[in-house]
Amino acid sequence: MSDDLEKQLREALRHVDPPPGFAARVSARTQSEQRHRWLAARHRWVPATLAASVLLSLLVAYGWQLRHEREQGLAARQQLIEALRLTGEKLDLAYRGVQDASKPAVPPDTGDT
Amino acid sequence: MRASLSRLLLMLVLSLAGSAAARAADARLMLPEFHTLEAKASESVSVTLDSSLLAMAARFLDPNRPEDAAARQIIAGLTGIYVRSFTFDSDFAYPKEDVASVRKQLSAPGWQQLVQVRSRKDHNDVDVYVRVEGDKTNGLAIIASEPREFTIVNIVGAIDLQKLHELEGHFGIPQLKLDDKK
Repeated sequence: MSDDLEKQLREALRHVDPPPGFAARVSARTQSEQRHRWLAARHRWVPATLAASVLLSLLVAYGWQLRHEREQGLAARQQLIEALRLTGEKLDLAYRGVQDASKPAVPPDTGDT
Repeated sequence: MRASLSRLLLMLVLSLAGSAAARAADARLMLPEFHTLEAKASESVSVTLDSSLLAMAARFLDPNRPEDAAARQIIAGLTGIYVRSFTFDSDFAYPKEDVASVRKQLSAPGWQQLVQVRSRKDHNDVDVYVRVEGDKTNGLAIIASEPREFTIVNIVGAIDLQKLHELEGHFGIPQLKLDDKK
């Protein structure tokens, strides 16, 4: 019984030479796995970097829009002030014209004094 | 029955809103392009402020500045401000036809001439027109031709002439103290 077991074990654990190219395949696989691990570690920041880039782009676009709106608003304000200045100036011109027309005519200087 | 009544009301509201918009639009003059004047002028000012630009400008007015506060009061109720002004280096360099085309529009019903000034001494001609709807003024036009300057102002919307009068003392306009003289 024990001889049989021993025989079976010997049979099972007998030295077998690896097939040709086994060492090279193991080495290649190990290198490949190492490379994959290195690449995974290296690209771990890619999604975060992409997300940060998108967020930054959105912030820049928003900032640009705010600045553009501000520039447009300030230009519109400037135009408004200029338009009101001109309106006031021309109303003033009309007022002075009416005032001049309503003034009594100055009698010509007779030179008596 | 109820549905048709509400539809009728909606149509009434829409037509009223449409007619109000049309009335305001009537006060807007078709200003010529004035390309020839622009080429001749030593200085030209062209202001086109529709309702959206007026609202935008209003947002950038500083209530702490008297000039800005006055502007805010004046533009409340306005739907457009259009100004064309040209300054020339020589006397009467602008063609009278351009002025006539604008004057023609002001002969349309609704426009009333408020002031007409013809100064032989200074050669300043100023016409002030208002467009009146009922008891409300919804348009103003000023045509001012001076020897070396030609200006057209068209203000569209509910204009408070009292507020316009308050332009005095602001925007570099000297205080005329009109009220004191009354």
